[in-house]
Amino acid sequence: MSYIRDDVSAKRKVGMVLTYAVLILFAILAIAPLLWLALNSFKTSQDYQMNRLGLPKRFFWQNYTQAWQRGHFGIYIVNSIIYTAITTVAILALSFMSGFAFAKINNRNTKWMYGSYVVGILMTLQSIMIPLFIVINQVGLYDTKLGVLIPYIGIGLPMGIYLATEFMKSIPNALVESARLDGAHYGRIFLSIMAPMAAPVGVTIAILQISGTWNEFMLINMLTSSTKNKSLPVGIQSFAGSLSTDYGKLFASLMIGLIPMLVFYIIFRKEITKGVSAGAVKG
Amino acid sequence: MGSHASMYSASRITAHGEERRAFWIFVLPAFLIYLFVMAFPTFFAVFLSLTNYKGGALFGPKRKAVDIVGFQYYKQMFSDKYFWLALKNNMWIVFISVFGQIPLGFFMAYLIFRGMIRGKDFFQTVIYLPCVISTVVIGRLWKAITAPNGVLPDIIRLFNPAYVAGNSEHPMIAVLLVILWMYTGTYLIIFLANLQKIDTSVIEAAKIDGATEMQALRYIIFPALSGVIVTTAILAISGSLKSFDLIFVMTSGGPAKQTYVLSIYMYDTAFKGAPNYPLANAVSIVMCVISFALIGITKAVEKKFGGKE
Repeated sequence: MSYIRDDVSAKRKVGMVLTYAVLILFAILAIAPLLWLALNSFKTSQDYQMNRLGLPKRFFWQNYTQAWQRGHFGIYIVNSIIYTAITTVAILALSFMSGFAFAKINNRNTKWMYGSYVVGILMTLQSIMIPLFIVINQVGLYDTKLGVLIPYIGIGLPMGIYLATEFMKSIPNALVESARLDGAHYGRIFLSIMAPMAAPVGVTIAILQISGTWNEFMLINMLTSSTKNKSLPVGIQSFAGSLSTDYGKLFASLMIGLIPMLVFYIIFRKEITKGVSAGAVKG
Repeated sequence: MGSHASMYSASRITAHGEERRAFWIFVLPAFLIYLFVMAFPTFFAVFLSLTNYKGGALFGPKRKAVDIVGFQYYKQMFSDKYFWLALKNNMWIVFISVFGQIPLGFFMAYLIFRGMIRGKDFFQTVIYLPCVISTVVIGRLWKAITAPNGVLPDIIRLFNPAYVAGNSEHPMIAVLLVILWMYTGTYLIIFLANLQKIDTSVIEAAKIDGATEMQALRYIIFPALSGVIVTTAILAISGSLKSFDLIFVMTSGGPAKQTYVLSIYMYDTAFKGAPNYPLANAVSIVMCVISFALIGITKAVEKKFGGKE
Protein backbone atom coordinates (compact mmCIF):
# COMPACT_ATOMS: atom_id res chain seq x y z
CA MET A 1 0.00 0.00 0.00
CA SER A 2 2.67 2.48 1.04
CA TYR A 3 4.62 1.25 -1.96
CA ILE A 4 1.85 2.47 -4.29
CA ARG A 5 1.51 5.73 -2.42
CA ASP A 6 5.22 6.41 -2.77
CA ASP A 7 4.94 5.74 -6.47
CA VAL A 8 2.04 8.19 -6.79
CA SER A 9 3.76 10.90 -4.82
CA ALA A 10 6.98 10.44 -6.79
CA LYS A 11 4.99 10.84 -10.01
CA ARG A 12 3.35 13.86 -8.58
CA LYS A 13 6.70 15.40 -7.67
CA VAL A 14 8.01 14.92 -11.19
CA GLY A 15 4.85 16.52 -12.55
CA MET A 16 5.24 19.40 -10.16
CA VAL A 17 8.86 20.04 -11.13
CA LEU A 18 7.93 19.93 -14.82
CA THR A 19 5.06 22.33 -14.23
CA TYR A 20 7.31 24.79 -12.47
CA ALA A 21 9.99 24.43 -15.14
CA VAL A 22 7.56 25.16 -17.97
CA LEU A 23 5.95 28.10 -16.19
CA ILE A 24 9.30 29.61 -15.23
CA LEU A 25 10.41 29.28 -18.84
CA PHE A 26 7.31 31.18 -19.99
CA ALA A 27 7.82 33.81 -17.33
CA ILE A 28 11.43 34.32 -18.45
CA LEU A 29 10.36 34.56 -22.08
CA ALA A 30 7.82 37.21 -21.09
CA ILE A 31 10.18 39.47 -19.20
CA ALA A 32 13.61 38.81 -20.75
CA PRO A 33 13.16 41.39 -23.54
CA LEU A 34 12.11 43.97 -20.96
CA LEU A 35 15.06 43.24 -18.69
CA TRP A 36 17.34 43.45 -21.71
CA LEU A 37 15.80 46.85 -22.49
CA ALA A 38 16.37 48.07 -18.94
CA LEU A 39 20.05 47.01 -19.00
CA ASN A 40 20.75 48.47 -22.42
CA SER A 41 19.19 51.79 -21.53
CA PHE A 42 22.33 52.39 -19.44
CA LYS A 43 24.84 51.67 -22.22
CA THR A 44 26.56 54.31 -24.29
CA SER A 45 25.93 53.85 -27.97
CA GLN A 46 29.46 52.54 -28.56
CA ASP A 47 29.07 50.12 -25.67
CA TYR A 48 25.79 48.90 -27.20
CA GLN A 49 27.27 48.44 -30.68
CA MET A 50 30.17 46.37 -29.33
CA ASN A 51 28.33 44.46 -26.71
CA ARG A 52 24.60 43.95 -27.19
CA LEU A 53 24.26 40.83 -25.07
CA GLY A 54 26.35 41.63 -22.01
CA LEU A 55 26.06 43.93 -19.04
CA PRO A 56 26.80 47.64 -19.42
CA LYS A 57 30.51 48.50 -18.97
CA ARG A 58 29.43 51.36 -16.77
CA PHE A 59 26.04 52.79 -16.00
CA PHE A 60 25.58 55.76 -18.30
CA TRP A 61 22.72 57.63 -16.59
CA GLN A 62 23.06 60.55 -19.00
CA ASN A 63 20.96 58.61 -21.53
CA TYR A 64 17.99 59.41 -19.35
CA THR A 65 18.74 63.06 -18.65
CA GLN A 66 19.58 63.75 -22.29
CA ALA A 67 16.56 61.87 -23.63
CA TRP A 68 14.33 63.67 -21.13
CA GLN A 69 15.57 67.09 -22.25
CA ARG A 70 15.80 66.52 -25.98
CA GLY A 71 12.59 64.51 -26.18
CA HIS A 72 10.31 67.00 -24.36
CA PHE A 73 9.18 64.15 -22.13
CA GLY A 74 8.15 66.55 -19.35
CA ILE A 75 5.50 68.05 -21.65
CA TYR A 76 4.37 64.65 -22.91
CA ILE A 77 3.91 63.22 -19.45
CA VAL A 78 1.89 66.23 -18.30
CA ASN A 79 -0.24 65.92 -21.44
CA SER A 80 -0.75 62.22 -20.88
CA ILE A 81 -1.86 62.93 -17.32
CA ILE A 82 -4.29 65.61 -18.56
CA TYR A 83 -5.78 63.35 -21.23
CA THR A 84 -6.04 60.37 -18.90
CA ALA A 85 -7.49 62.30 -15.95
CA ILE A 86 -10.12 64.23 -17.88
CA THR A 87 -11.16 61.24 -20.00
CA THR A 88 -11.47 58.98 -16.96
CA VAL A 89 -13.44 61.45 -14.85
CA ALA A 90 -15.78 62.32 -17.73
CA ILE A 91 -16.40 58.67 -18.55
CA LEU A 92 -17.05 57.81 -14.91
CA ALA A 93 -19.59 60.63 -14.55
CA LEU A 94 -21.35 59.97 -17.86
CA SER A 95 -21.36 56.18 -17.42
CA PHE A 96 -22.83 56.43 -13.95
CA MET A 97 -25.51 58.83 -15.14
CA SER A 98 -26.50 56.70 -18.11
CA GLY A 99 -26.23 53.51 -16.09
CA PHE A 100 -28.55 54.94 -13.47
CA ALA A 101 -31.11 56.03 -16.05
CA PHE A 102 -30.99 52.72 -17.96
CA ALA A 103 -31.17 50.59 -14.82
CA LYS A 104 -33.56 52.52 -12.61
CA ILE A 105 -35.73 54.93 -14.62
CA ASN A 106 -38.46 53.39 -16.74
CA ASN A 107 -38.37 54.60 -20.30
CA ARG A 108 -39.21 52.88 -23.54
CA ASN A 109 -36.07 54.27 -25.20
CA THR A 110 -33.77 52.36 -22.86
CA LYS A 111 -33.74 49.24 -24.98
CA TRP A 112 -32.45 50.61 -28.27
CA MET A 113 -30.15 53.18 -26.70
CA TYR A 114 -28.50 50.67 -24.41
CA GLY A 115 -28.37 48.22 -27.30
CA SER A 116 -26.49 50.74 -29.41
CA TYR A 117 -23.81 51.04 -26.72
CA VAL A 118 -23.43 47.26 -26.59
CA VAL A 119 -22.85 47.32 -30.36
CA GLY A 120 -20.28 50.07 -29.74
CA ILE A 121 -18.27 47.81 -27.44
CA LEU A 122 -17.93 45.22 -30.14
CA MET A 123 -17.19 47.66 -32.92
CA THR A 124 -13.72 47.79 -34.41
CA LEU A 125 -12.40 51.23 -33.70
CA GLN A 126 -10.01 51.11 -36.65
CA SER A 127 -12.94 51.12 -39.01
CA ILE A 128 -13.94 54.65 -37.99
CA MET A 129 -10.52 56.26 -37.65
CA ILE A 130 -10.43 57.91 -41.08
CA PRO A 131 -13.98 59.36 -41.01
CA LEU A 132 -13.39 60.46 -37.41
CA PHE A 133 -10.23 62.24 -38.49
CA ILE A 134 -12.15 64.03 -41.25
CA VAL A 135 -14.97 65.00 -38.88
CA ILE A 136 -12.54 66.38 -36.27
CA ASN A 137 -10.77 68.29 -39.02
CA GLN A 138 -13.99 69.75 -40.43
CA VAL A 139 -15.13 71.08 -37.06
CA GLY A 140 -11.75 72.74 -36.54
CA LEU A 141 -10.52 70.58 -33.65
CA TYR A 142 -7.47 69.09 -35.36
CA ASP A 143 -4.34 69.33 -33.17
CA THR A 144 -6.21 70.58 -30.11
CA LYS A 145 -6.58 68.90 -26.73
CA LEU A 146 -10.37 69.03 -27.04
CA GLY A 147 -10.10 67.28 -30.40
CA VAL A 148 -8.43 64.36 -28.62
CA LEU A 149 -10.57 64.36 -25.49
CA ILE A 150 -13.96 64.21 -27.22
CA PRO A 151 -13.08 61.08 -29.24
CA TYR A 152 -11.48 59.48 -26.19
CA ILE A 153 -14.60 60.04 -24.13
CA GLY A 154 -16.93 58.85 -26.88
CA ILE A 155 -14.91 55.70 -27.46
CA GLY A 156 -14.68 54.80 -23.78
CA LEU A 157 -18.39 55.32 -23.12
CA PRO A 158 -19.81 52.02 -24.45
CA MET A 159 -17.73 49.84 -22.09
CA GLY A 160 -18.24 52.21 -19.14
CA ILE A 161 -21.98 52.41 -19.66
CA TYR A 162 -22.27 48.66 -20.10
CA LEU A 163 -20.43 47.94 -16.85
CA ALA A 164 -22.25 50.67 -14.90
CA THR A 165 -25.69 49.63 -16.13
CA GLU A 166 -25.19 45.95 -15.39
CA PHE A 167 -23.91 46.79 -11.90
CA MET A 168 -26.73 49.19 -11.10
CA LYS A 169 -29.33 46.66 -12.26
CA SER A 170 -28.15 44.49 -9.38
CA ILE A 171 -28.89 47.20 -6.80
CA PRO A 172 -32.42 46.60 -5.42
CA ASN A 173 -35.18 48.76 -6.92
CA ALA A 174 -36.72 49.12 -3.47
CA LEU A 175 -33.99 51.58 -2.53
CA VAL A 176 -34.93 53.90 -5.35
CA GLU A 177 -38.68 53.43 -4.85
CA SER A 178 -38.65 54.19 -1.14
CA ALA A 179 -36.54 57.27 -1.72
CA ARG A 180 -39.04 58.34 -4.39
CA LEU A 181 -41.92 57.86 -1.95
CA ASP A 182 -40.05 60.06 0.53
CA GLY A 183 -40.09 62.72 -2.17
CA ALA A 184 -36.46 62.61 -3.26
CA HIS A 185 -35.64 63.80 -6.78
CA TYR A 186 -33.76 61.60 -9.21
CA GLY A 187 -30.70 63.84 -8.97
CA ARG A 188 -30.60 63.38 -5.23
CA ILE A 189 -31.14 59.61 -5.46
CA PHE A 190 -28.32 59.41 -7.97
CA LEU A 191 -25.85 61.44 -5.91
CA SER A 192 -26.56 60.10 -2.44
CA ILE A 193 -27.66 56.50 -3.06
CA MET A 194 -26.67 55.08 -6.45
CA ALA A 195 -23.30 56.67 -7.09
CA PRO A 196 -21.81 55.68 -3.72
CA MET A 197 -23.21 52.15 -4.00
CA ALA A 198 -21.76 51.74 -7.48
CA ALA A 199 -18.26 52.75 -6.38
CA PRO A 200 -16.81 49.22 -6.90
CA VAL A 201 -17.73 49.21 -10.58
CA GLY A 202 -16.35 52.74 -10.75
CA VAL A 203 -12.95 51.35 -9.79
CA THR A 204 -13.11 48.78 -12.59
CA ILE A 205 -14.17 51.40 -15.14
CA ALA A 206 -11.45 53.81 -13.99
CA ILE A 207 -8.70 51.20 -14.20
CA LEU A 208 -9.71 50.02 -17.67
CA GLN A 209 -9.94 53.62 -18.78
CA ILE A 210 -6.68 54.81 -17.27
CA SER A 211 -4.61 52.04 -18.86
CA GLY A 212 -6.47 52.37 -22.16
CA THR A 213 -6.07 56.14 -22.43
CA TRP A 214 -2.49 56.24 -21.20
CA ASN A 215 -1.40 53.75 -23.88
CA GLU A 216 -3.61 54.98 -26.72
CA PHE A 217 -1.57 55.69 -29.82
CA MET A 218 -3.49 55.27 -33.05
CA LEU A 219 -5.95 58.15 -32.71
CA ILE A 220 -3.75 60.71 -31.02
CA ASN A 221 -0.99 60.03 -33.53
CA MET A 222 -3.48 60.98 -36.24
CA LEU A 223 -5.20 63.85 -34.45
CA THR A 224 -2.22 65.86 -33.17
CA SER A 225 0.92 67.24 -34.75
CA SER A 226 2.47 69.75 -32.33
CA THR A 227 4.62 68.98 -29.31
CA LYS A 228 2.28 70.82 -26.95
CA ASN A 229 -0.58 68.38 -27.69
CA LYS A 230 1.21 65.05 -28.03
CA SER A 231 0.96 62.34 -25.39
CA LEU A 232 3.75 60.11 -24.14
CA PRO A 233 3.35 57.26 -26.71
CA VAL A 234 3.28 59.68 -29.67
CA GLY A 235 6.15 61.61 -28.15
CA ILE A 236 8.23 58.46 -27.88
CA GLN A 237 7.42 57.53 -31.45
CA SER A 238 8.51 60.92 -32.79
CA PHE A 239 11.61 61.07 -30.55
CA ALA A 240 12.59 57.56 -31.64
CA GLY A 241 12.13 58.57 -35.25
CA SER A 242 14.53 61.49 -34.78
CA LEU A 243 17.36 59.26 -33.51
CA SER A 244 19.33 57.37 -36.08
CA THR A 245 21.68 55.02 -34.26
CA ASP A 246 21.67 56.47 -30.77
CA TYR A 247 20.32 53.31 -29.19
CA GLY A 248 21.18 54.29 -25.61
CA LYS A 249 18.84 57.24 -25.75
CA LEU A 250 16.21 55.27 -27.63
CA PHE A 251 16.14 52.65 -24.89
CA ALA A 252 16.10 55.30 -22.17
CA SER A 253 13.08 56.92 -23.81
CA LEU A 254 11.35 53.54 -24.02
CA MET A 255 12.00 53.03 -20.31
CA ILE A 256 10.48 56.44 -19.62
CA GLY A 257 7.41 55.19 -21.46
CA LEU A 258 7.40 51.84 -19.68
CA ILE A 259 7.90 52.82 -16.05
CA PRO A 260 4.62 54.66 -15.28
CA MET A 261 2.48 51.77 -16.59
CA LEU A 262 4.68 49.23 -14.82
CA VAL A 263 4.16 50.97 -11.48
CA PHE A 264 0.42 51.25 -12.14
CA TYR A 265 0.27 47.57 -13.05
CA ILE A 266 2.16 46.44 -9.98
CA ILE A 267 -0.19 48.39 -7.71
CA PHE A 268 -3.45 47.43 -9.43
CA ARG A 269 -2.60 44.04 -10.96
CA LYS A 270 -5.54 42.25 -9.29
CA GLU A 271 -8.05 44.82 -10.48
CA ILE A 272 -6.51 44.94 -13.95
CA THR A 273 -6.63 41.20 -14.52
CA LYS A 274 -10.18 41.12 -13.15
CA GLY A 275 -11.17 43.86 -15.56
CA VAL A 276 -9.57 42.00 -18.47
CA SER A 277 -11.47 38.80 -17.85
CA ALA A 278 -14.73 40.69 -17.26
CA GLY A 279 -14.32 42.93 -20.28
CA ALA A 280 -12.81 40.47 -22.72
CA VAL A 281 -15.27 37.66 -22.22
CA LYS A 282 -18.02 40.07 -23.10
CA GLY A 283 -16.28 41.04 -26.32
CA MET B 1 -64.55 59.81 -5.79
CA GLY B 2 -64.37 61.43 -9.22
CA SER B 3 -62.17 64.29 -7.99
CA HIS B 4 -60.00 61.82 -6.16
CA ALA B 5 -59.37 59.84 -9.33
CA SER B 6 -58.51 62.89 -11.39
CA MET B 7 -56.11 64.15 -8.70
CA TYR B 8 -54.43 60.77 -8.69
CA SER B 9 -53.98 60.70 -12.43
CA ALA B 10 -52.77 64.31 -12.46
CA SER B 11 -50.02 63.52 -9.99
CA ARG B 12 -49.19 60.45 -12.02
CA ILE B 13 -48.78 62.54 -15.15
CA THR B 14 -46.42 65.01 -13.44
CA ALA B 15 -44.50 62.09 -11.94
CA HIS B 16 -44.20 60.64 -15.43
CA GLY B 17 -43.12 63.97 -16.79
CA GLU B 18 -40.43 64.26 -14.17
CA GLU B 19 -39.38 60.69 -14.80
CA ARG B 20 -39.05 61.32 -18.52
CA ARG B 21 -37.17 64.57 -17.97
CA ALA B 22 -34.78 62.92 -15.54
CA PHE B 23 -34.15 60.08 -17.98
CA TRP B 24 -33.13 62.42 -20.78
CA ILE B 25 -31.01 64.65 -18.55
CA PHE B 26 -29.05 61.59 -17.37
CA VAL B 27 -28.76 59.93 -20.76
CA LEU B 28 -28.44 62.65 -23.35
CA PRO B 29 -24.96 64.17 -22.74
CA ALA B 30 -23.28 60.78 -23.13
CA PHE B 31 -25.46 59.83 -26.06
CA LEU B 32 -24.69 62.99 -28.03
CA ILE B 33 -20.94 62.46 -27.62
CA TYR B 34 -21.35 58.83 -28.58
CA LEU B 35 -23.31 59.76 -31.72
CA PHE B 36 -20.72 62.36 -32.71
CA VAL B 37 -17.70 60.15 -32.14
CA MET B 38 -18.85 56.68 -33.15
CA ALA B 39 -22.23 56.55 -34.89
CA PHE B 40 -21.91 59.53 -37.21
CA PRO B 41 -18.43 58.65 -38.53
CA THR B 42 -19.68 55.16 -39.40
CA PHE B 43 -22.43 56.53 -41.65
CA PHE B 44 -20.19 59.32 -42.87
CA ALA B 45 -17.69 56.68 -44.03
CA VAL B 46 -20.36 55.06 -46.20
CA PHE B 47 -21.09 58.43 -47.80
CA LEU B 48 -17.44 59.36 -48.32
CA SER B 49 -16.59 56.00 -49.84
CA LEU B 50 -19.10 56.71 -52.63
CA THR B 51 -17.79 60.22 -53.43
CA ASN B 52 -14.66 61.68 -54.94
CA TYR B 53 -13.78 63.73 -51.83
CA LYS B 54 -10.02 64.26 -51.69
CA GLY B 55 -9.75 66.84 -48.91
CA GLY B 56 -10.75 70.43 -48.27
CA ALA B 57 -13.69 72.02 -46.49
CA LEU B 58 -16.99 70.14 -46.65
CA PHE B 59 -19.10 72.91 -45.11
CA GLY B 60 -19.11 76.69 -45.06
CA PRO B 61 -18.27 79.29 -47.72
CA LYS B 62 -15.04 77.67 -48.91
CA ARG B 63 -16.83 74.39 -49.51
CA LYS B 64 -15.67 72.28 -52.44
CA ALA B 65 -18.16 70.42 -54.56
CA VAL B 66 -18.21 66.71 -53.87
CA ASP B 67 -19.66 64.31 -56.43
CA ILE B 68 -21.16 60.92 -55.85
CA VAL B 69 -19.24 58.50 -58.02
CA GLY B 70 -20.74 55.20 -56.93
CA PHE B 71 -18.69 52.10 -56.31
CA GLN B 72 -15.66 53.24 -58.30
CA TYR B 73 -13.34 53.16 -55.27
CA TYR B 74 -14.56 49.77 -54.15
CA LYS B 75 -13.61 48.47 -57.60
CA GLN B 76 -10.20 50.10 -57.24
CA MET B 77 -9.78 48.54 -53.79
CA PHE B 78 -10.77 45.03 -54.87
CA SER B 79 -8.40 45.18 -57.82
CA ASP B 80 -5.46 46.39 -55.71
CA LYS B 81 -3.11 43.52 -54.92
CA TYR B 82 -2.01 45.28 -51.70
CA PHE B 83 -5.56 45.15 -50.38
CA TRP B 84 -5.48 41.38 -50.77
CA LEU B 85 -1.99 41.18 -49.28
CA ALA B 86 -3.23 43.18 -46.27
CA LEU B 87 -6.25 40.91 -45.90
CA LYS B 88 -3.99 37.87 -46.12
CA ASN B 89 -1.77 39.27 -43.37
CA ASN B 90 -4.84 39.88 -41.22
CA MET B 91 -5.67 36.20 -41.75
CA TRP B 92 -2.15 35.26 -40.61
CA ILE B 93 -2.77 37.20 -37.41
CA VAL B 94 -6.03 35.32 -36.93
CA PHE B 95 -4.10 32.10 -37.53
CA ILE B 96 -1.40 32.86 -34.95
CA SER B 97 -4.09 33.88 -32.45
CA VAL B 98 -6.32 30.87 -32.89
CA PHE B 99 -3.58 28.26 -33.22
CA GLY B 100 -0.88 29.97 -31.14
CA GLN B 101 -2.18 32.29 -28.46
CA ILE B 102 -5.34 30.40 -27.55
CA PRO B 103 -3.77 26.93 -27.12
CA LEU B 104 -0.70 28.38 -25.42
CA GLY B 105 -2.81 30.59 -23.15
CA PHE B 106 -5.00 27.62 -22.30
CA PHE B 107 -1.98 25.41 -21.65
CA MET B 108 -0.45 27.91 -19.23
CA ALA B 109 -3.77 28.56 -17.50
CA TYR B 110 -4.31 24.82 -17.18
CA LEU B 111 -0.84 24.31 -15.67
CA ILE B 112 -1.46 27.08 -13.16
CA PHE B 113 -4.97 25.79 -12.37
CA ARG B 114 -4.20 22.07 -12.08
CA GLY B 115 -0.55 22.21 -11.05
CA MET B 116 -1.47 23.13 -7.48
CA ILE B 117 1.63 25.24 -7.50
CA ARG B 118 2.63 28.19 -5.42
CA GLY B 119 2.98 31.63 -6.93
CA LYS B 120 -0.11 31.54 -9.17
CA ASP B 121 -0.36 35.30 -8.92
CA PHE B 122 3.30 35.73 -9.73
CA PHE B 123 3.12 33.74 -12.97
CA GLN B 124 -0.10 35.37 -14.07
CA THR B 125 1.28 38.84 -13.34
CA VAL B 126 4.58 38.29 -15.15
CA ILE B 127 3.14 36.59 -18.22
CA TYR B 128 0.48 39.28 -18.64
CA LEU B 129 2.99 42.12 -18.19
CA PRO B 130 3.77 42.72 -21.91
CA CYS B 131 0.07 43.43 -22.50
CA VAL B 132 -0.11 46.45 -20.22
CA ILE B 133 2.87 48.27 -21.71
CA SER B 134 2.37 50.79 -24.48
CA THR B 135 2.51 49.19 -27.92
CA VAL B 136 4.87 51.97 -28.99
CA VAL B 137 7.43 50.85 -26.41
CA ILE B 138 6.96 47.19 -27.35
CA GLY B 139 7.09 47.87 -31.08
CA ARG B 140 10.23 50.03 -30.88
CA LEU B 141 11.91 47.54 -28.58
CA TRP B 142 11.28 44.61 -30.93
CA LYS B 143 12.26 46.68 -33.92
CA ALA B 144 15.65 47.20 -32.27
CA ILE B 145 15.91 43.55 -31.25
CA THR B 146 15.09 42.11 -34.67
CA ALA B 147 17.06 44.64 -36.74
CA PRO B 148 19.97 43.23 -38.78
CA ASN B 149 22.31 44.94 -36.28
CA GLY B 150 20.10 44.01 -33.34
CA VAL B 151 20.54 41.49 -30.58
CA LEU B 152 18.51 38.67 -32.14
CA PRO B 153 21.15 38.02 -34.86
CA ASP B 154 23.74 38.01 -32.06
CA ILE B 155 21.77 35.33 -30.24
CA ILE B 156 21.34 33.28 -33.41
CA ARG B 157 25.10 33.52 -34.01
CA LEU B 158 25.70 31.95 -30.59
CA PHE B 159 24.20 28.76 -32.01
CA ASN B 160 25.08 29.17 -35.67
CA PRO B 161 28.27 31.25 -36.10
CA ALA B 162 27.85 31.29 -39.88
CA TYR B 163 24.53 33.19 -39.66
CA VAL B 164 24.48 36.42 -41.66
CA ALA B 165 21.77 38.88 -40.74
CA GLY B 166 19.87 40.42 -43.61
CA ASN B 167 16.38 41.53 -44.38
CA SER B 168 14.04 38.63 -43.88
CA GLU B 169 12.20 37.17 -46.84
CA HIS B 170 9.12 36.81 -44.66
CA PRO B 171 8.96 39.95 -42.51
CA MET B 172 5.49 38.99 -41.25
CA ILE B 173 7.06 36.18 -39.21
CA ALA B 174 8.74 38.62 -36.84
CA VAL B 175 5.51 40.59 -36.48
CA LEU B 176 3.53 37.42 -35.75
CA LEU B 177 6.02 36.26 -33.13
CA VAL B 178 5.82 39.61 -31.35
CA ILE B 179 2.02 39.43 -31.41
CA LEU B 180 2.24 35.93 -29.96
CA TRP B 181 4.66 37.14 -27.28
CA MET B 182 2.67 40.22 -26.38
CA TYR B 183 -0.93 39.04 -26.23
CA THR B 184 -0.85 35.40 -25.10
CA GLY B 185 -1.16 36.62 -21.50
CA THR B 186 -4.66 37.92 -22.25
CA TYR B 187 -5.85 34.42 -23.09
CA LEU B 188 -4.11 33.03 -20.03
CA ILE B 189 -6.11 35.42 -17.87
CA ILE B 190 -9.42 34.69 -19.59
CA PHE B 191 -8.96 30.93 -19.35
CA LEU B 192 -7.69 31.02 -15.79
CA ALA B 193 -10.62 33.16 -14.64
CA ASN B 194 -13.04 30.66 -16.17
CA LEU B 195 -11.16 27.56 -15.03
CA GLN B 196 -11.39 28.82 -11.49
CA LYS B 197 -15.18 28.72 -11.78
CA ILE B 198 -15.07 24.95 -12.27
CA ASP B 199 -15.83 22.99 -9.13
CA THR B 200 -12.57 21.11 -8.46
CA SER B 201 -14.36 18.54 -6.34
CA VAL B 202 -16.00 17.19 -9.50
CA ILE B 203 -12.55 16.60 -10.99
CA GLU B 204 -11.26 15.03 -7.76
CA ALA B 205 -14.30 12.74 -7.58
CA ALA B 206 -13.77 11.65 -11.18
CA LYS B 207 -10.12 10.92 -10.46
CA ILE B 208 -10.99 8.85 -7.40
CA ASP B 209 -13.30 6.88 -9.69
CA GLY B 210 -10.25 6.15 -11.84
CA ALA B 211 -10.42 8.86 -14.50
CA THR B 212 -7.08 9.92 -15.96
CA GLU B 213 -6.04 13.55 -16.24
CA MET B 214 -6.72 13.42 -19.98
CA GLN B 215 -10.22 12.11 -19.34
CA ALA B 216 -10.87 14.86 -16.82
CA LEU B 217 -9.72 17.35 -19.42
CA ARG B 218 -11.82 15.79 -22.15
CA TYR B 219 -15.05 15.20 -20.23
CA ILE B 220 -15.11 17.86 -17.53
CA ILE B 221 -12.86 20.82 -18.33
CA PHE B 222 -13.37 21.22 -22.09
CA PRO B 223 -17.18 20.99 -21.93
CA ALA B 224 -17.19 23.57 -19.13
CA LEU B 225 -15.09 25.91 -21.26
CA SER B 226 -16.77 25.37 -24.64
CA GLY B 227 -18.43 28.79 -24.59
CA VAL B 228 -15.20 30.56 -23.60
CA ILE B 229 -13.18 28.80 -26.27
CA VAL B 230 -15.59 29.94 -28.96
CA THR B 231 -15.68 33.47 -27.56
CA THR B 232 -11.89 33.71 -27.45
CA ALA B 233 -11.73 32.54 -31.06
CA ILE B 234 -14.09 35.32 -32.09
CA LEU B 235 -12.11 37.74 -29.92
CA ALA B 236 -8.98 36.67 -31.78
CA ILE B 237 -10.57 37.25 -35.18
CA SER B 238 -11.91 40.69 -34.29
CA GLY B 239 -8.64 41.45 -32.51
CA SER B 240 -6.77 40.89 -35.75
CA LEU B 241 -8.75 43.69 -37.38
CA LYS B 242 -7.66 45.91 -34.51
CA SER B 243 -3.96 45.41 -35.05
CA PHE B 244 -2.48 48.73 -36.00
CA ASP B 245 -0.16 50.29 -33.40
CA LEU B 246 2.33 47.48 -33.10
CA ILE B 247 2.84 47.00 -36.84
CA PHE B 248 2.77 50.75 -37.48
CA VAL B 249 5.60 51.23 -35.01
CA MET B 250 7.58 48.09 -35.85
CA THR B 251 7.53 48.10 -39.64
CA SER B 252 5.05 50.78 -40.86
CA GLY B 253 3.81 48.04 -43.16
CA GLY B 254 7.21 47.65 -44.83
CA PRO B 255 9.57 46.56 -46.20
CA ALA B 256 7.87 46.97 -49.60
CA LYS B 257 4.40 46.79 -47.98
CA GLN B 258 5.05 43.16 -47.06
CA THR B 259 3.59 43.60 -43.54
CA TYR B 260 0.49 45.53 -44.59
CA VAL B 261 -2.69 44.82 -42.67
CA LEU B 262 -6.05 46.39 -43.53
CA SER B 263 -5.74 49.23 -41.02
CA ILE B 264 -2.24 50.19 -42.21
CA TYR B 265 -3.33 49.94 -45.84
CA MET B 266 -6.19 52.30 -44.97
CA TYR B 267 -3.90 54.70 -43.09
CA ASP B 268 -1.40 54.89 -45.94
CA THR B 269 -4.18 55.45 -48.44
CA ALA B 270 -5.43 58.39 -46.43
CA PHE B 271 -2.19 59.95 -45.21
CA LYS B 272 0.72 58.90 -47.39
CA GLY B 273 1.17 61.05 -50.47
CA ALA B 274 -1.97 62.56 -51.95
CA PRO B 275 -4.89 61.64 -49.70
CA ASN B 276 -7.31 59.19 -51.23
CA TYR B 277 -10.13 59.47 -48.68
CA PRO B 278 -12.81 57.61 -50.68
CA LEU B 279 -10.57 54.56 -50.99
CA ALA B 280 -9.61 54.73 -47.30
CA ASN B 281 -13.28 54.92 -46.37
CA ALA B 282 -14.08 51.98 -48.61
CA VAL B 283 -11.53 49.99 -46.58
CA SER B 284 -13.24 51.28 -43.41
CA ILE B 285 -16.56 49.95 -44.65
CA VAL B 286 -15.09 46.56 -45.45
CA MET B 287 -13.64 46.40 -41.92
CA CYS B 288 -16.98 47.52 -40.51
CA VAL B 289 -18.84 44.81 -42.42
CA ILE B 290 -16.43 42.14 -41.20
CA SER B 291 -16.69 43.35 -37.61
CA PHE B 292 -20.50 43.50 -37.72
CA ALA B 293 -20.60 40.01 -39.20
CA LEU B 294 -18.49 38.94 -36.22
CA ILE B 295 -20.90 40.61 -33.81
CA GLY B 296 -23.71 38.62 -35.42
CA ILE B 297 -21.76 35.39 -35.08
CA THR B 298 -20.90 36.22 -31.44
CA LYS B 299 -24.56 36.74 -30.64
CA ALA B 300 -25.55 33.50 -32.34
CA VAL B 301 -22.83 31.60 -30.52
CA GLU B 302 -23.76 33.12 -27.17
CA LYS B 303 -27.32 31.97 -27.71
CA LYS B 304 -26.27 28.49 -28.70
CA PHE B 305 -23.89 27.99 -25.81
CA GLY B 306 -26.17 29.71 -23.34
CA GLY B 307 -24.84 32.74 -21.56
CA LYS B 308 -21.91 35.01 -22.18
CA GLU B 309 -19.33 32.87 -20.54
